[in-house]
Amino acid sequence: MDEQLRDSQPTPETPDAGPVLDQMDDLGLTETAPTRDTRTSASSRTQKDTSLGYELYLNVRTLVFVLAALILVFTFVVRIIVVSGSSMENTLQNGDSMLVWCLGYEPKQGDVVVLTQRSYQNDSLVKRVIATEGQRVDIDYDTGTVYVDGVALEEDYIKETMRVPNYGEGLNHVTVPEGCIFVMGDNRNDSADSRYPNIGIIDTRSVIGRAVMVVFPFPDFNLL
Amino acid sequence: MKNRRPCNVFWLVWTLLLAAAAAGVRMWQKATAFEGSYGLPVRGATASVVLVCVLVIAGAALAILAARQPVTTPPRSQIRGRRWDMSFFATGDVVFLALVWFGAFCSLAAVPLLFGQGRELWKAYQLAVAMKTWQGGDNGVLGMVTAVLALLAFLGLLQIGRDGFRPGRRGKGGFWAALPACAGCGWLLGTYRNCAADPVLWDYVPLLLAVIAGMLMYTDWAGMSCAAARPRRTLWLAGMTVVCSWVALASRPDTGTALLLISQSASALAALWRLPINLQHPPKVGSEDKLIPAVPQGTEMTTENKEEDTHE
Repeated sequence: MDEQLRDSQPTPETPDAGPVLDQMDDLGLTETAPTRDTRTSASSRTQKDTSLGYELYLNVRTLVFVLAALILVFTFVVRIIVVSGSSMENTLQNGDSMLVWCLGYEPKQGDVVVLTQRSYQNDSLVKRVIATEGQRVDIDYDTGTVYVDGVALEEDYIKETMRVPNYGEGLNHVTVPEGCIFVMGDNRNDSADSRYPNIGIIDTRSVIGRAVMVVFPFPDFNLL
Repeated sequence: MKNRRPCNVFWLVWTLLLAAAAAGVRMWQKATAFEGSYGLPVRGATASVVLVCVLVIAGAALAILAARQPVTTPPRSQIRGRRWDMSFFATGDVVFLALVWFGAFCSLAAVPLLFGQGRELWKAYQLAVAMKTWQGGDNGVLGMVTAVLALLAFLGLLQIGRDGFRPGRRGKGGFWAALPACAGCGWLLGTYRNCAADPVLWDYVPLLLAVIAGMLMYTDWAGMSCAAARPRRTLWLAGMTVVCSWVALASRPDTGTALLLISQSASALAALWRLPINLQHPPKVGSEDKLIPAVPQGTEMTTENKEEDTHE
């Protein structure tokens, strides 16, 4: 908005002192004002006095601005979220840190998403989108197959063959309402997801974003 | 603004009007733009769109005011002490003192509340860890850190008020603002941590913006004493601090957070009250031995929008 204003006196090489001194000369003040040499020595002294505080301040200011920028970026654009639990094994391991893209994201089938279903818990969940609005989901536990709109999904990402959960079959034949998604964990036998009645169909407004990559630990680094 | 009258009234009136408008719209949004038991946002709600517009308009209006703010650079001989270090000198100005100290004591009042909350969460965290039931979340450490930093902010604001009201021989008008700026860093981290799993941006973005605006304002305020003055940006940030703080207050935060918001809002109003006056009519106090023999009256030079201060 405005250029930086230095309140220390300029060095002799600094051209900005010229106009002020010249203006004072024009006003006939040269007899009462100190000479340029006197000012020069005062200038050096002042700069020495202020240099430490100035440099320190610049570092603090840089840190503050960087912190503010990072917080804004990590609020509106991306987030780092740590996986808690084993429901997405083998795609994601407990403790993995993921980069999650938030800006303008609309859930699509097959995406790994981070969401918060407040009816279940206040912390976030990581699941895979199985179906989006208008699609029909049918789960056949006998064959361990998920059908979306009558077509069997090829799920090479799941950990093991799906069995009936300990809470029963739950939601296994459902058409996803408008503005909602049906999600499941890749570890089907140890995942609380849309099949579980307390979680159920997820409103897309509860979705924080799409998991883009695992960034930590480094051995697990990969794109999702 | 051309007739040499201080602009602080413009700043205060516009800032308070914009802040009141933004807070009003935020309350309207709270009443109409969320649905369901978990407060999911209504898509395309009018109040949300209007609130964004009001915030953008506030930023633009305050930027225009800042751009038009006259900055007087007097002749070297009339300056005692450092020019920008004196930007918050307010000798005998009770309003400035009252606002800054009110902000200071609000910050102090927030300390036990924030610390108590943090301590409760820390106890719950320790219990959960002992029972091996900890599933992540806020363990209270950042809350307690924020409380300690709020205490430092109290000391900084107290000293700013004192330095401004009775300036010493050498100015330290803004140096102490570095303390509330540091407190803002801790507060920002704590606020962000608490909302990391919240999918509804409107639940926490007003508070984040308020904390960021306040933190940057205090940083620029401190810069006045560190040879890195940006007076117009400081004014803009002070205005935005008031606007964003009022919006965040309209969101009905917890008491500790509300006190911190009131604190930075009062400090920002103090800056808006005093800084425009001192930019137009720089105070003439400071070390007597630095005086250069006086010049005749009426030789003051005005450099509107041309800022490179070269005075000691």
